[in-house]
Amino acid sequence: MKETTLRAKSSKPLSAYRLIQALLGALFAAYLIWRFYNVFLDGTPSYGADSWLRFAISGVVLGSVYALIAIGYTLVYGILFMINFAHGDIMMLGAFSGYFVFEALEKIPSPVIDNPNQVFLNAHPVISVLLAFIVGATVAAVSGYFLEKIAYRPLRGAPRLVPLISAIGASIFLENAALLLFGSQRHDFANPVQITRGEGWNIPINGEVVILPYTGVLTIALSILILVALYVLVQRTQLGRAMRAVAENKSAAALMGINVNGIISRTFIISGALAGSAGVMWGIHLGLVYHMVGFIPGIKAFTAAVLGGIGNIPGAMLGGMFLGIIETMGPAYLGMSFQLKDVLAFSILVLILIFRPTGLLGEVLSEEKV
Amino acid sequence: MNKQIANGLRVGLTFGIVNIFLFLIKFPVIAGTIIKKIIPNFIVALFPINPDILDILIFIGLIGIWAGASGGRKLDEKSDNWLTSFVGGAAAGLVNALLIGALVFILGSLTDAHVKINAYLAAILPAVVKLFLLDQNTLNGSLTQFVFSFVAGALGGVLGFAFRGQWFASLKNKWNAAWASLTENPQIKKTFARPIARIALSALGIAFLLFIPQIAGKYWNYTIGTVGIYVLLGLGLNIVVGFAGLLDLGYVAFFAIGAYTVALLTAPNPHHLMWNFWTTLPIGVVLAAAAGILLGIPVLRMRGDYLAIVTLGFGEIIRILATSDLLTSFTGGPRGVTAIGQPTLFGKPFSSDTDFVYIIFIGIAIAIFITIQLRSSRIGRAWEAMREDETVAQAMGINTLSHKLMAFAIGAALAGLGGVLFASRNQFTGPEDHNLMVSINVLSVVIVGGMGSIPGVIAGAFALKGLPEILREVQDYRILIFGALLVAMMIWRPEGLWPTARRSMELHSADPEDPESGEAKTSEDKP
Repeated sequence: MKETTLRAKSSKPLSAYRLIQALLGALFAAYLIWRFYNVFLDGTPSYGADSWLRFAISGVVLGSVYALIAIGYTLVYGILFMINFAHGDIMMLGAFSGYFVFEALEKIPSPVIDNPNQVFLNAHPVISVLLAFIVGATVAAVSGYFLEKIAYRPLRGAPRLVPLISAIGASIFLENAALLLFGSQRHDFANPVQITRGEGWNIPINGEVVILPYTGVLTIALSILILVALYVLVQRTQLGRAMRAVAENKSAAALMGINVNGIISRTFIISGALAGSAGVMWGIHLGLVYHMVGFIPGIKAFTAAVLGGIGNIPGAMLGGMFLGIIETMGPAYLGMSFQLKDVLAFSILVLILIFRPTGLLGEVLSEEKV
Repeated sequence: MNKQIANGLRVGLTFGIVNIFLFLIKFPVIAGTIIKKIIPNFIVALFPINPDILDILIFIGLIGIWAGASGGRKLDEKSDNWLTSFVGGAAAGLVNALLIGALVFILGSLTDAHVKINAYLAAILPAVVKLFLLDQNTLNGSLTQFVFSFVAGALGGVLGFAFRGQWFASLKNKWNAAWASLTENPQIKKTFARPIARIALSALGIAFLLFIPQIAGKYWNYTIGTVGIYVLLGLGLNIVVGFAGLLDLGYVAFFAIGAYTVALLTAPNPHHLMWNFWTTLPIGVVLAAAAGILLGIPVLRMRGDYLAIVTLGFGEIIRILATSDLLTSFTGGPRGVTAIGQPTLFGKPFSSDTDFVYIIFIGIAIAIFITIQLRSSRIGRAWEAMREDETVAQAMGINTLSHKLMAFAIGAALAGLGGVLFASRNQFTGPEDHNLMVSINVLSVVIVGGMGSIPGVIAGAFALKGLPEILREVQDYRILIFGALLVAMMIWRPEGLWPTARRSMELHSADPEDPESGEAKTSEDKP
């Protein structure tokens, strides 16, 4: 997009603009190098190796959650060229479903000989976690389906602002529906005792002990599994081929006998299921669910999708991972307060969109689509 | 007949699910309190039951009738009669009633078993369940609910048929004819078209506006002021979104700049500058406009949704920065700034809520003047061309970047003015005054009112900010209704409540069978 616009009007202000852009980039790179010197080489480093490992672990965990959400944005954007603004709220619904599954299983007694007070949740942790994921993904997938059917499908072919506003409306509606249904307090996710939050394998480093949390490993493993499954689905199956065809050209796909509306519905179901599992992961790993839990992760996952190149599935995975790591390590590297990690994430979004709207891996959009 | 039953069952299922949601957020109770306001007391006294329960029953009954009417709606010309409508309505009523009855029964039994439902579903307190059970025991209460909704559905089917029947159509025609004879009467039209009549009307309007704040009480003046500030913000965003077609979700950032400018320059803390309000007012406006230009230069080369997300990101950055420790010494941090300076007139304080209403009216008048002047100017037409198709506009020789910047700057200046007045009137501003919801509220005002339309923005501000003040019971539900309203408006009335003639024509001539759905809509398929 940038290239063509630049060529289209190669007048003076824009070439000056480009010069400023290069200058700013050089300044920024110099600043990063200076920070590198400050943080690692200069006398007493402010963070030891153990801290960096800790940052890296939480970054990768966070990144794998972002990656799952980001793929939902990318899939929908690839097909409809609209930002599914309510995607983060679909994730919130998934998180709440997982929360209710755990709460219910915690109430079911499952006594064993040596522990008569045992509950189902702790007696069968694998089944419980699987159940939470299945319910969370299903609820989110169903909500995604109805979201598309109610709020987006009637607006096909309308000017682009119209579905976007409808998406914003749907997002507000879902957030406030959750607020009114479940209350404004933050609900504590009751994990099975085997994967209590904060516990994990101890890694000794530099005389300090870094915890590799069980929940984090679960999150990473599950999201890798889901991502591989998704990749196979999109690349190898009939449905995936149809999805790619619709993303390429809707009318040609329709002429080839593809049910375009059905494929769009299924895309929303898949992206909803991904968001739902991400929501359950969020709950298991970070522990708190409330009505706005999806908002910030939603915007960040969109950032991740843009970072990797929107419409590009491996790009979304990479972008999510990258953003997660930047968010946890960035404030320490730049010497900022950790309060400002969201500012960092949003600044990256703004910078990427300004300087490289096609993302790191490049995207599939032509001028007309952007 | 089978088709009618199937339709009835489907409609009943939809209504039932919606009803379950409404019950779980205890909306029937809230709706009951509104109904209580509408229905005169002596009518309520005729019924020998608890008035709270009567109001809830009225709400549930109305929804049931609606469900029945849509369940029994006309599916085809030939087989539309009393019986099919009744059967369809009854089918819808049955499913709806089953779901409601089951829900109430479950809630009742859980409460009987002393389960604390409100730990999970915040609205479902035991008192609310008691109201849902109509003050009876669990079984009787849920059975009554079931029978009531079922009867309402069947009644709805019959009523629906009656209202699409002959006599109703003739009634409607008569009404329309009477209305037309009044509005289309050439004599009346001619009278109103005379310049003197228009001047008289505007004079009357202005006199009325000047008079209102004097008779309205403190509370109403405060409310009018809030609505007025939203009109001001809406007029500013209207230029950005409605005229230039740039979706700005970070509009609150400019509002915040205006508010913080006046706060930091006039308040005793944290800087103790204590400037005069009238000096800071233009500074706030100019700073906001400058911020609009600065932000616009990098951002405005993006289109559509990307622009929306980036502006949203900027808005959030500003909010987080305002809360963070980094700027606490400069902006007062999360606690905000208090004791902000207020305007004076000839040395006397001019800062009561009534006085502020006048200042806000003047601001609105200026904003309307600017908007009207710009709309019909070269710039306004360039904006419209850009909104319809940027590439074509560029090819026509319009400098899109500078025109976008101009829209952004003017919109930002009006937001800055709104911010200055808002902060000074409340004598307080803090980060929570400037969260994303403000941007979304203003956007809703513009869209609900009708993009690009000045009376639309005013109507939208009254509908979204004024009505909730009158219906205070729905306070908690306001934002939920906003969200649903945005979606519903986009589907059924994307041009808004009071659209400009051109825009409503554009949106309704769009070809619904467009196979290239979702693609950027270009002007080529418009007449």
